[in-house]
Amino acid sequence: MNTIAEHPVAPEQIMAFFDGELSAADAQNVAAHLDGCSACASLVGQFRDLSQSLTQWSVALVPQSVEDAVKGFAARTSATSKSGKPPAPFLFGIWNGKFVPFAVTGIAACALLMVGVEISDSYRNARIIPHRSEVVELPNKDTDTAGYDAPASVPPSLPAQSPMNVATPAIAAMAQQTSALDGNAAASPAASMQLNSPTTSAAPMIAHTASLAITVKDLSAARASLDAILARHQGYAAQLTVESTANFPRSVTASLRIPASGLSSAIGDLKTLGRVERESQSGEDVSQQHTDLAERIKTARATEESFRGILQQRTGKISDVLEVEQSIARVRGEIEAMEAEQTRLEHRVDYATIELQLNEEYKEEIPSAAFSLRFHNASVAGYRNASEIVASIILFLVQYVLSILIWLALVCIPALLIWRYRKALSRL
Amino acid sequence: MESALPRFVLNSEITRPGSMDNTTRRSSAAKPTGESTDEDLMADFCHGSQDAFNELFLRYKQPLFGFFRRRVADAAQAEELTQESFVAVIRASSRYEPSALFRTYLYAIGLKILSAYRRKAAFRATFTGAPDAYREPAALGNLEMEYVLRQAVGKLDRLEREILMLREFEQLSYVEIGELLHLPVNTVRSRLFRARLALHNLLADPTPTADAEQARIEESA
Repeated sequence: MNTIAEHPVAPEQIMAFFDGELSAADAQNVAAHLDGCSACASLVGQFRDLSQSLTQWSVALVPQSVEDAVKGFAARTSATSKSGKPPAPFLFGIWNGKFVPFAVTGIAACALLMVGVEISDSYRNARIIPHRSEVVELPNKDTDTAGYDAPASVPPSLPAQSPMNVATPAIAAMAQQTSALDGNAAASPAASMQLNSPTTSAAPMIAHTASLAITVKDLSAARASLDAILARHQGYAAQLTVESTANFPRSVTASLRIPASGLSSAIGDLKTLGRVERESQSGEDVSQQHTDLAERIKTARATEESFRGILQQRTGKISDVLEVEQSIARVRGEIEAMEAEQTRLEHRVDYATIELQLNEEYKEEIPSAAFSLRFHNASVAGYRNASEIVASIILFLVQYVLSILIWLALVCIPALLIWRYRKALSRL
Repeated sequence: MESALPRFVLNSEITRPGSMDNTTRRSSAAKPTGESTDEDLMADFCHGSQDAFNELFLRYKQPLFGFFRRRVADAAQAEELTQESFVAVIRASSRYEPSALFRTYLYAIGLKILSAYRRKAAFRATFTGAPDAYREPAALGNLEMEYVLRQAVGKLDRLEREILMLREFEQLSYVEIGELLHLPVNTVRSRLFRARLALHNLLADPTPTADAEQARIEESA
């Protein structure tokens, strides 16, 4: 077909003329043009041929069943309308076939979402197995007496009291005040000793010990940070050794004493110094030792008092007097040794011990000429890096693949369904 | 009722090609003397005349069936949609207002029902696979020309195909097509022109793809 740009009548007007869609005036103009323009006349002929071709697309007659059904329905409806109002549609016509697929899809989506949320909650509450290098954090002793360091013999009905707080001077002073108010407490040293003793409380005495091995980049900076941490936690270094040998990494070995109440935070601060290579913590129950010592001191003091009574009340030979005085001196020495041991135990309980080892990162300088060695090291490092990357990818997938799949399902499945729906709709 | 008709339809000087379904149009545009128009019959049916509906059904059963049969691959489905359309007309008779030609009203119902059917079929095809139109070949009979026509019309743009079919088979005017498809008359005319050009070229050389045909149409336009 031609475009007929040079003709005064547009092709669409010719088509409208053919379809009988022009006004009388326009139709006359087009008809006049068609009489003298063979090209436009052929266009009309093409339209006519096309319409005649389409007449060959015939359709079968309507089946009689359709006619019977429609006429029957019309008759029934007519009879109903004459007798009264037709029945109201169910739910005002909202609930018809058009909405059924959407309603079913919506209900299914809601159910899927609820199941997904339930599964997510159950997995979120599942216990995660700690990594080997990780250490279970110490329970908060201020609130939790059922921690791992609490002996099984401690009844659960005990007050939530820290073992560290049992022997503190404050509680001892409080106990003394209580005794003074009662008026029953004797002012004897033995009674005072019992009040000071942790045996007056059933709470255990735990001596905490921790060990840390940390690799740092700059040992000098780490040393300064270590001093700052000790000052912040009111601790001290019982022993500290710095080693610096040629061709070997520098290191610091220290035995730190930190108030037991601040052990967890101190360890946390120490971990920030560098990369933690090793970490361990332990707690030793020294309650029994302390109790034994207290009993032995009590007995020794009683013995000493007996000797002193004998010395003051009895008379005898000089040799007997000297022997009694020697016995008193021996007992006194034992008492002082046991009191020192008791003090040391209490100090171990009050101050946790952290065995710290700081190692500086050290890279051995490879001679520039040793290319083969450098190549070997580079290949080893490359292999390690590649292995790390692969391991990281695997770990990432293991950790997040379920979430990724869920998100993919949430995003891709509706998109796929919409795409298939639109594609099917365009085909119909 | 003549005031509701487009002026240029009444002034048409070209005799329209015969109806595809051999059904004589008896709307108010071509009302024979002494015979009721579609709108009159519908008004009578609304007042309870069963005979009026029977006459309407007689006039439009075959055109409406052809309307669906040419757009739906399954003949049984076309019958069902035809029946559903007439049932919808019966049910909506109490709310009918003669603001337009009855055939426009009827084909508007048919288009709505057809759209609903297509949505349902597409929804089913979303989960079950290709729609019926692809599982069941569109060829109706043994006539090769009929098959070629169906294939060529199927390659047209969706909107242009609908306009062309409404014009060629349902014999609707440009205004009626615009009302049905919610398009301006000029758009209907230009789209119809492009559809006819494309169909003419497709029938002349059915091998080119639709995209190539579209490019040719745009070049010629």
